[in-house]
Amino acid sequence: MSSPATPQGPAGGTATTTRAAERTEVDLGWVTLVWDDPVNLMSYVTHVFETYFGYSEARAGTLMLQVHNDGRAVVSSGTREQMETDVDAMHSYGLWATLEKS
Amino acid sequence: MRDFTRRGDLIRLRLGEYEVSLLESLVLQLSGLLEDGSPASVDGSGDPFDRWQAELGAQPTLDSSDPVIGRLFPDAYADDPAAAAEFRRFTQSRQVMERLEQAGTVLDALAATDEGRHRLEVPLAQVNDWLRVLTALRLSLAVRLGIESPEDADSLDALGEDDPRSFVYRVYEWLAYLSEGLLTQLGR
Repeated sequence: MSSPATPQGPAGGTATTTRAAERTEVDLGWVTLVWDDPVNLMSYVTHVFETYFGYSEARAGTLMLQVHNDGRAVVSSGTREQMETDVDAMHSYGLWATLEKS
Repeated sequence: MRDFTRRGDLIRLRLGEYEVSLLESLVLQLSGLLEDGSPASVDGSGDPFDRWQAELGAQPTLDSSDPVIGRLFPDAYADDPAAAAEFRRFTQSRQVMERLEQAGTVLDALAATDEGRHRLEVPLAQVNDWLRVLTALRLSLAVRLGIESPEDADSLDALGEDDPRSFVYRVYEWLAYLSEGLLTQLGR
């Protein structure tokens, strides 16, 4: 990910297309992965996780750093259909996401 | 981020005439690339029913061998080309239409500045559209610039002004500045 040259404040939530409700942490077989890329801004990736998944700023920031440091992170889990919806949403934000069996 | 101000639900930014026209031309290039794959252009009609019919039979019509298209519509399945193709078949034409609408939102706001005479106004409700468009533009430029690692970006940063890529890289960085500015305003 790309980090800004200018310091910035935390990105707040102005959720317009937040996913309906956070799913419970049960293994439904599939996960959505977001992969690191050198283009997307760290603040933007955090914003997307907050906005779309409804994650707290802390959780979104932790996931963003995991993507940045490990090259990828599991950002959600659920059924295959749910993960296709999440991957579709991540792509709409320009994030590089895939789904796979957990 | 001194150029950005926010009052209530409105973020304002002063852009120069040149900046407005630069951003307009970038967004138009992106729209042009995407329009090749939109149902409306496939059947040559903006009629909603025709569009709906086109969507039902939607096939990905964008050229996935174009690396920009490949980056905007990446494989959803890393190790299953057939499933990735199927995913594209069901998602791409809607994604294209949404991206064209977002581009339209940005173009309308730029037009409203009257070539930079008035400040650009972005309602909070449209910030995500803006961020998506700015991101798509950066992803497109990154492909053209060959940015595949942080080191690639560093080496572009070190280019002399006389290198033609230097200008494109400055534009790429400026788009990041605009995104950061919008994100910063959201946080207040």
